[in-house]
Amino acid sequence: MKRSMVFDVNGNKREVLVSPNQTLLDVLRNQLHLTGVKEGCGLGECGACTVLLDGDPVKSCLILAMEAEGKKILTIEGLAQGRDLHPLQKTFMEHHAFQCGFCTPAMILTAKALLDRNPEPSRREVTRLISGNLCRCTGYKDIIEAVMRAGDALRNKVNDDEHE
Amino acid sequence: MNMNNFHYIRKSPRRTDGELIVTGRARYTVDIDLPGMLYAKILKSPHAHARIRSINTGKAEELEGAKAVVTGRDIGNRRFSFIDTPAYPADQTPLAVDKVRFIGEGVAAVAAESEKAAEKALSLIEVDYEELPAVFDPEEAMKEGAPIIHEEITPNTTTAWEDFGIPRAKSRPYKAHHNISNRVFIEHGDIDKGFREADYVREDRFVIPSTAHAALEPHAAVADFQPTGKLDVWLSHMGFEHKRFWLAKLLGIPLSNVRIHKTYVGGAFGGKISLFAYEFLAAYLSMLTRRPVKTILTREEVFTTCPSARRMIVTLKTGVKKDGKITAQHVRIIDDVGAYRRSSPTALYLTHVFRNPIYDIPNIRHEGYGVYTNKIFTTAKRGHGLQQMIFAVESQLDMICDALELDRLEIRLKNLRKKGDVLPNGDTLRSYALPACLKTAAERIDWRRKTSHKKPNRGLGIGTASMFSGAHNFPFASAATVRLNHDGRVILYTGQTEFGIGVETVMAQIVAEVLRCPLKDIIVNAGDSEISPHDIGNWLSAGMFVSGEAVKRAAVDLKTQMLRYASEGLGIPDSDLEFENGWIISKSDDSRKCSFSDISRYGIQMAGGDPLIGKGFTKCVPEVYFWKGRYNKTASLTSGKGRFTEAYGLAAAMAEVEVDQETGKVRVIHLVVADDCGTPINIKSVEGQIVSQAVMGIGDVLFEEVRFEKGAVLNPNFLEYPIPTASDIPKIDSIIVDSYEPNGPFGAKEVGETSRAAAIAAVANAVCDAVGGRIFSLPFTTDRIKKALVAREKRKS
Ligand code: FES
Ligand code: FES
Repeated sequence: MKRSMVFDVNGNKREVLVSPNQTLLDVLRNQLHLTGVKEGCGLGECGACTVLLDGDPVKSCLILAMEAEGKKILTIEGLAQGRDLHPLQKTFMEHHAFQCGFCTPAMILTAKALLDRNPEPSRREVTRLISGNLCRCTGYKDIIEAVMRAGDALRNKVNDDEHE
Repeated sequence: MNMNNFHYIRKSPRRTDGELIVTGRARYTVDIDLPGMLYAKILKSPHAHARIRSINTGKAEELEGAKAVVTGRDIGNRRFSFIDTPAYPADQTPLAVDKVRFIGEGVAAVAAESEKAAEKALSLIEVDYEELPAVFDPEEAMKEGAPIIHEEITPNTTTAWEDFGIPRAKSRPYKAHHNISNRVFIEHGDIDKGFREADYVREDRFVIPSTAHAALEPHAAVADFQPTGKLDVWLSHMGFEHKRFWLAKLLGIPLSNVRIHKTYVGGAFGGKISLFAYEFLAAYLSMLTRRPVKTILTREEVFTTCPSARRMIVTLKTGVKKDGKITAQHVRIIDDVGAYRRSSPTALYLTHVFRNPIYDIPNIRHEGYGVYTNKIFTTAKRGHGLQQMIFAVESQLDMICDALELDRLEIRLKNLRKKGDVLPNGDTLRSYALPACLKTAAERIDWRRKTSHKKPNRGLGIGTASMFSGAHNFPFASAATVRLNHDGRVILYTGQTEFGIGVETVMAQIVAEVLRCPLKDIIVNAGDSEISPHDIGNWLSAGMFVSGEAVKRAAVDLKTQMLRYASEGLGIPDSDLEFENGWIISKSDDSRKCSFSDISRYGIQMAGGDPLIGKGFTKCVPEVYFWKGRYNKTASLTSGKGRFTEAYGLAAAMAEVEVDQETGKVRVIHLVVADDCGTPINIKSVEGQIVSQAVMGIGDVLFEEVRFEKGAVLNPNFLEYPIPTASDIPKIDSIIVDSYEPNGPFGAKEVGETSRAAAIAAVANAVCDAVGGRIFSLPFTTDRIKKALVAREKRKS
């Protein structure tokens, strides 16, 4: 039986008809047309479908859409503030941290969750935390660099704000 | 040329399309949705080898929501392949017609209103199979009395090569004796004399399994056949020409009626060059239903129905003098092609010609056989042929050093070719920085100190590699156009395709460099078959050397036209004008200048409406041609005669690893890759390619293998087929050894595949060094390493 549900996606309330066995990934991509959420395997093995649920990274192919009801869902489409890109989006560009780009939305969101919790992670922590997100192109080196530099930028921003 | 005078190249501008990617707005094939779209699914064979007695589609056709059901017999023997020549006619059909030859081969396809309905319809199709004896091992398949996988193969009415106008001979049916699908035989010098001159001869056998491309975007296609006869297609390509040619040929519609759209491609690695059956089927079903049709493969389908990399057995016999100088080498390769031949003729030729520029081997015999087996067919992956061969050659060189107590670095330096050398086929090494690559890498990893003071459990290894900068493949040339717009910005049209290589940015840099205008003023239209001029594609490593040169020439052509109008319009001789930052300025009086948009206006108002379009074009090897029975130096895939390419990219890698002597676990500590790619147009892009390939190489050595049992893929997912994660990455240094390639755009040639092959050999040799014994089969699993450790202890005692 399909049920009408309201999702809080990228700060907007969206009403969708959802069946009980539908994954969050399916709803986001095929009903809300948020195609920045990617499906690489559908089995929880690649991380390409990662979105943030109340700030935590989850593999949207593994959870039912219904479980996301009442939680704040963030996809890559909701990360920039208007025309203002998030520091991670900027450092990913500056440090050539993508090639084909298919893993990038999920990689950025995973990194955001990490930096929100710990704005000064060690290289080792970054490495460990993104190791659930597969990237076949970059060899990860530039991704790790981009995350570290975004951490710098976020910390400087906090400092700037404090000094104001 | 002064290398420091560049303004837009030899720098690292970020990707011009970066915002699309980091905001999730880049549209991949999986993201294309069209109104009224149907979904296609393919029914796969559960048998490795079976005759199809009959297929009953009645129930599936009656299913609510099923719009079309087709079988192999409906489509018939429309044969396609990577290579389709009179000698080696295409052997594959989009769906099996009379027989299935591997588990996963398509037997029927459905288009339905939803994916679910399509799946339901598939489950209603009844296939009556008669199982046949199957053969999975290529050496078994070559034996007398082995099951015959292909009966005589009848070519299409014409082969692709006849369509292109290449061959001298008419196509003929192919009979695969002993399941041999194709062969190569290349010989230079006198092999017997070479072995007689040798002080030491050894023969070894190496086995390289299939590895998956594992592009993160699953394979997908969208096709939309219009009532006008036009076919719009969205798919993952690495150059539209090959796919467009085959779609048109198999569907029997004019080439110009097929439009391959640009989409982002979520990784390709050589695996998406050829046409896939599912792409044809999407188009065919769209023609039948007159509705758009989309198909997305599941990850398991990607692993089990899309080809992975080539499986090869390399037997290598080498003779050397006491000092390590190679006198002769006899190579025998068996390429376990699987059910269909695909790129094997190319791959077997590449096993020789890719590595040809590395070592100067005076007497060489290179023979190879493609052999059919009842497994999924195989294909190109990042320099196919190269890494299999390099693994064998570089492994054996280390064994020779052990036997003769020679230095592993010295033996390589001693045998290298030299800049200016002319290869037996006439290719000239105009740029050749491989010696410098080896020396630089050795310094960076501290080779001499570390090898003379070896730490326990540690090992060091070297690998070298080389490859083409483009070859003479269809459409045999690249062209580009650039157009000046009213606002003074410049639009580039190129067939180059973005699948992760940053090619649009790099091509824009070339145009900006020629016209000396800001990078943001270049708009790139790429990878769309309808608006791009012909293009050789981004494979066989032709992107930069061939298409980049075409782009450069197009920009130069436009610049010449602009200069003339500037001179006329300003009344200043063109010798007194220069381009700078989007302006054309008098050198003697910089107050006299005009903007690019002024020039556009001049063209329209004063030059009869001239739109100012520049065009440029080039072939990879300009002297090669064929025209109505006249031939010049066209390359032969089977004899290795004729010209191959115009420049070679080269690389050397060195690795340091640590091997746990109990568990056999390997930790790669440091990997250095020094790459001679000519002038790097975008330094960060080049480094990115080097790291990308090197990391893939680590996976190749340590754990990647598509495993089979009785023809079935055992590990069709990322859990059982792991690829490198961030935690697997050692310290990696990518070093660009910049040699100037005189025939390349601004001195550039190709980068990439060499790094993977060199890294594979370096890591493999380092592991064997740490283990103190040789492992002959990839990947070096902990089991194999432990066995080698045990064998070493036995030898000691
Ligand atoms: S698509 Fe969800 S983890 Fe791969
Ligand atoms: S950039 Fe292609 S998978 Fe990460």
